[in-house]
Amino acid sequence: MSDTVTINIDGQNYEVAAGANLVDAAKWHAGNDIPVFCYHPKMDPVGMCRMCLVELGTPGRDRATGELLRNDDGSLQIRYFPKLQTACTTTVSDGMHIKTNTQQVIDARNDVLEFLLSSHPLDCPICDKGGECPLQNLTMRHGPQASRMYFEDKQLLEKHYPLGDLIFLDRERCIQCARCVRFQDEVVGDDVLAFHERGRRLQIITHSDPGFDTYFSGNTTDICPVGALTTADFRFGARPWELNEVPSISPWDAAGENISLSMRLDRDFGGKAMIKRVMPRQNEWVNEIWITDKARFGHHFTRAEDRLQQPQMRTGGTLRNSNWEAAIAAMAATLQGADGDVAAIAGSGMSNEDLWALRQLLEGVGAGRLGAWPPTHDAAPHLEQVGVGAGTNLSELGRGDAILVIACDLEEEVPIWRLRLKQAQDRGAYLVVANARDTRLEDFAVQGARNDKVVEGDAIRYAPGEAVSVMRDLQKAHPQIAERLSRAENLVIVAGAEGLSLAGSEALAAAAANFLIESGHTGSANNGLLSPLPGANGLGLHYLGFTPQTTLNIMQEPPRVLIVAQAELLDDDPAAQQWLSQVETIIYAGLFDDGISQRADFILPLQSFAERDGSFVNGERRVQRFYTAQGPMGQALPAWKLFGGISQNAGIANLKPSAAAVMLELSGSVAAFQGASYRALSRTERQFPDVGGRDLYYGGTAYTNHGGIGLQIPTAADRGADVQRRDMADVAELRAGEGELLIMPITRLYNRQRSFRPSLLVEQRILNPYALIHPDDAAAAGTIDGDLIEIVAGESKVRVRASVSSEIAAGGVALPRHLTDAAVPLSASVGTVSRVTDAVAVR
Amino acid sequence: MAIIGNPKYEQRIERHLAKYETKRSAVMPLLYIAQEEYGWVNSDGIGEVAQILNLDPTQVKSIAGFYTMYSEKPKGKYWLQVCTDLPCALQGADDFHAWLKDELGVDEGGTTDDGLFTVEHVMCLAACDKAPMLQCNFRYVEELDQNKMRQLLAKWRSEANGRG
Amino acid sequence: MHILLRGRDIPNIKQLDVYEAHGGFDGLRKSLAMTPDQVIDVVKASGLRGRGGAGFPTGVKWSFIPQHEPIKYVTVNADESETGTFKDREIMEENPYQLIEGSLICAYAIQAKAVYIYLRGEFWDIGEQLDACIAALREENLVGENILGSGYDCEVYTHLGAGAYICGEESALLNSLEGYLGQPRVRPPFPAQKGGGLYKEATVVNNVETLANVPFIMTEGAPAFKAIGTEQSAGNKIYCVSGHVKRPGNYELPMGTTFRELLYEQAGGPLHDDRPFKAMLPSGGSGPIVPLTDEVLDTRMSYEDCAGIGTIIGSASIIIMDETVDMTWVASKVTKFFKHESCGKCTPCREGTYWLDKVIDRILDGRGTADDVKRIADVAENMAGTTLCALGDFAANPIIHTIRHFPDDFAQHVQA
Repeated sequence: MSDTVTINIDGQNYEVAAGANLVDAAKWHAGNDIPVFCYHPKMDPVGMCRMCLVELGTPGRDRATGELLRNDDGSLQIRYFPKLQTACTTTVSDGMHIKTNTQQVIDARNDVLEFLLSSHPLDCPICDKGGECPLQNLTMRHGPQASRMYFEDKQLLEKHYPLGDLIFLDRERCIQCARCVRFQDEVVGDDVLAFHERGRRLQIITHSDPGFDTYFSGNTTDICPVGALTTADFRFGARPWELNEVPSISPWDAAGENISLSMRLDRDFGGKAMIKRVMPRQNEWVNEIWITDKARFGHHFTRAEDRLQQPQMRTGGTLRNSNWEAAIAAMAATLQGADGDVAAIAGSGMSNEDLWALRQLLEGVGAGRLGAWPPTHDAAPHLEQVGVGAGTNLSELGRGDAILVIACDLEEEVPIWRLRLKQAQDRGAYLVVANARDTRLEDFAVQGARNDKVVEGDAIRYAPGEAVSVMRDLQKAHPQIAERLSRAENLVIVAGAEGLSLAGSEALAAAAANFLIESGHTGSANNGLLSPLPGANGLGLHYLGFTPQTTLNIMQEPPRVLIVAQAELLDDDPAAQQWLSQVETIIYAGLFDDGISQRADFILPLQSFAERDGSFVNGERRVQRFYTAQGPMGQALPAWKLFGGISQNAGIANLKPSAAAVMLELSGSVAAFQGASYRALSRTERQFPDVGGRDLYYGGTAYTNHGGIGLQIPTAADRGADVQRRDMADVAELRAGEGELLIMPITRLYNRQRSFRPSLLVEQRILNPYALIHPDDAAAAGTIDGDLIEIVAGESKVRVRASVSSEIAAGGVALPRHLTDAAVPLSASVGTVSRVTDAVAVR
Repeated sequence: MAIIGNPKYEQRIERHLAKYETKRSAVMPLLYIAQEEYGWVNSDGIGEVAQILNLDPTQVKSIAGFYTMYSEKPKGKYWLQVCTDLPCALQGADDFHAWLKDELGVDEGGTTDDGLFTVEHVMCLAACDKAPMLQCNFRYVEELDQNKMRQLLAKWRSEANGRG
Repeated sequence: MHILLRGRDIPNIKQLDVYEAHGGFDGLRKSLAMTPDQVIDVVKASGLRGRGGAGFPTGVKWSFIPQHEPIKYVTVNADESETGTFKDREIMEENPYQLIEGSLICAYAIQAKAVYIYLRGEFWDIGEQLDACIAALREENLVGENILGSGYDCEVYTHLGAGAYICGEESALLNSLEGYLGQPRVRPPFPAQKGGGLYKEATVVNNVETLANVPFIMTEGAPAFKAIGTEQSAGNKIYCVSGHVKRPGNYELPMGTTFRELLYEQAGGPLHDDRPFKAMLPSGGSGPIVPLTDEVLDTRMSYEDCAGIGTIIGSASIIIMDETVDMTWVASKVTKFFKHESCGKCTPCREGTYWLDKVIDRILDGRGTADDVKRIADVAENMAGTTLCALGDFAANPIIHTIRHFPDDFAQHVQA
């Protein structure tokens, strides 16, 4: 192939990718681990640490003729640089020769190590990084036996400098490699870390307010090549060699971040296996080697004291502790006696196996209404048709490509997508962000956020509620933007549901699908539709037949018996109290009690993602499995076992022996899951960059993927189906009348949902309840910034502080979900805002 | 006061912003303005410079810390920086520097109790043929000896007292 | 005759009318009448080499600029921070228009959009004077749009550093000018290449003295310049003499003048008649030190001749030490300088300068051992050649060469 070149490493020739970095190429093709500290394959090289010095030569050419010079024996004459060169700043070229094992190179490595150690505290015995530390590993290989650096006044620096609430810096251990600084700048786009002073006084600082406070901060501790950066969550908690790694999937959002749960038998958990920390697990198609702080620090709910731990049953009007046998038998009887008037609402945290078992149960009792929770996003049917093509990797988007993000706030909804799309823009992709308010991603679209970066981007600010017509009429209203999107080599559209009703979210996805179909951006990798469906398994719900439309139907016409599975209806829906009152029997299975125990007849404890095997379908339709890591809380069961148990009791089907067996049946029954056996899901392949191996210095402590890279469900377009655009002539949009405003629930990553609150560290970063309102609307409501206001929309009545700002277009109020105890509307609704005059405090 | 909205600096800031292709390039001249306004580069000044240039304050702080002419601590009214680099030292600058600290009763980098004088030594100031020398608030004073220095100190003291 | 320090011959040449009355801007006028390539050819033919220290042929440097790039810059390195250097200061104080004229000729030759003069922060009053000069030139249509009706536009700006020796290194200077830490960049891309220069555009970075030579070359012609100096070192050079001589100061003399001529005839010989010269740093703190032997004194000050005595002429900041000076102390002084000025980017320089300083202090304090002397020599050798910029080598030089030439000065401090 013409896009490879031949390089010679220590006397042997290798074909390597043209344009590759020399460190990467040597590692990938020759298995030659050139030692590095500052270099990281995900960031631009800086050549600072000098650890990767090699002898470097290139074929000599005759100055006059440009002809390659040859030795007497006909071989090419190689001209070596007089000084050693840093491999990390070198791009391979044809005929390049490097030597990595000569005495000169070995000496240089030893010398750099000696220099680094001269200022190092050598406190490995008490260092979190000890055991997986690049500096430690490389010292074993290259370091001096004894220190020649004996002077009395070794530098004493701060050992516990908080860069923010979550990350501590040990200034003695820091080797000034700038990986953390560059991660924040290049990868996250939030340059809140920097060097201060110079020379040996050079130190990492933050002078931002708040300090080091991003959704990705924990990643710096993974790529830190020493123990300088530690997390407040894990530091001094365990030693790496005590930990057992279990592959898992982040339970929080549609990204489906691949994670590794670091387990230890711990006295804090009664001697049982306990999650000590959460680490990234490499999946270059999904999250690369990054995870959000929510995935990393939000695991505490799995061991929360207030988890449901005991099955309960209402007898004689009172909810009493029961046992599984009795509860299952009673439920089987109840369901069989309901004349088929049974419905189920399943939350997006339920695994595919759980959903399959629940569906089998319902079908077994002659019922068919399967609702998805929360009923806010209805893009899934379009994702099935024209979702991003199989093989999509957002890291491949760049120059010539385009991205449109409409009606969502990816920073808060799917942070990893935000991270990766921002990097796509850095690589030259054209990024358009459309919303009724300012979002983090929009900052990048219009100005690269900071630093005068020249960026390819545009922002569209539309009036609240108008997302669908903006998308539908893009060509008319924004011809230049539409033109650039249409002409792009690859185009990805991310359509959310912010400011829309459920029907509106479906219409937006349809309009986006139309655009993709018209411009020919469907059915191939790196093209198509994405949607930030809430939860980890929003698409699993869809593929297994649970729909938000059915949920609305259930809410309107409640059944006699309702099974609520891992859905906190009362926390989420202000009208739930009311419509649930029409249900005769409520069977509730979940992790937490949101108050439904007041009404429910059965309360059944479920296991969290950490306690059992299962699989989720992420927003890119990748079926990914997670593994049992932690011991169960009390008597909690995995949902598939609970529903399978009821089915067995009711004579519908035999209980499967394992989640794997459930998946085997499911994959044979539901077309989308064809071939998705656990064996297939656990398939892995070598990924570039080659992180997580023996040499932790190359990519940091992200874990190699041993749990599987998953299997992507093809779209209809991928399969060659003739996807048709839909006529969109009539679009019913929400309109606020005189004196009314459009109340738009928005999502905040850190919120007071029951599963998040137990993670105390992160919990303190949850914002106080607020609503964003335009100055004109605030004036009309007679309120000013900071006032307590009451927002009424349908059954929802919440009191929050007014945040008056023109970051939002007039006519709408952005009201974050789950910051208040009272539920905000499920979807955008028309409502009113008034200033609270009585002095009742809100939390 | 402040830098932003201060008519004293308005034109200068505009001029610096106009000079460069990027706003960020103006961080050094603006830090001088912050130092002029507050007497040292304090957090207020860093915040304002960051705001004007649309930078994160961390970036501005980083620049202030790298370059030695920005002081991140309050200084005396007269900031005396004695060159003690090799050429000056060959002409007795080390002794002169030691004497000056002794004369003012301060340690290296220290400020006199009356807040008038801060003394520190610096690297070569490109005045090697006129040693010993120092810069006082970035103004060169060359070919110094103890007598000349005593007179200068007296002059600065009366200047400061005169203004009250 | 002075080509550069003309302020010494012509009173008030810092005024525009006086400068112009003495041929000022004739070089620019002549250049504007030529094609840019022709100007580069003249400068190439003159044999002018960079006066900042490295001695790279100036015309060749200009010719590296890709002509097809739409945006190009000239950056003037006026960060004069090398220990013992004070020549650019005198040029800019006394003959500022000549620097600006030279810069404009360079800018025209590479078709630059603007010239940025990067001054060390302490030169703020020079900056103000240059700003006034630029304003005066704008009035005369010598700066700005359509210069002298030529159709060529060019702006000239000044920028003040703020105390960092490393900003004299061209890529660190560019970082500093862009508002980043003054730390050297990875090369390639080089400043002359797209992606490597100011704002990622192709950029020429030249020293003040280098550019101040250019008006003479353009008015008098390349042969007139080449006739001065030696075969490989053309033109005059300003030698900054400091330390133990009777008359320290700047001396503008042809390249190839001997050290003896400079130090005895011009600078008046040893400061104290009874204390002979012992050693010389011919290129500030960064070049190798040499004992001032007769052989050295009779060496010509040129790029080629200085190599023969194991040192460099560099920026010609010549620091003279008499027999009373302890070379261990000199090593300490220079090491403290580099420790203070190390930007901290590369491990060997950041850690090495710190280490060296600690151990030399111990030796000077009488607590060192003979092993310590060996150790610092070894540490210095390990620093040399392993860093991104030359500061690592500069910092190693004083140790390596003081120990090599003056072992007894170290031996006297240590226990056997």
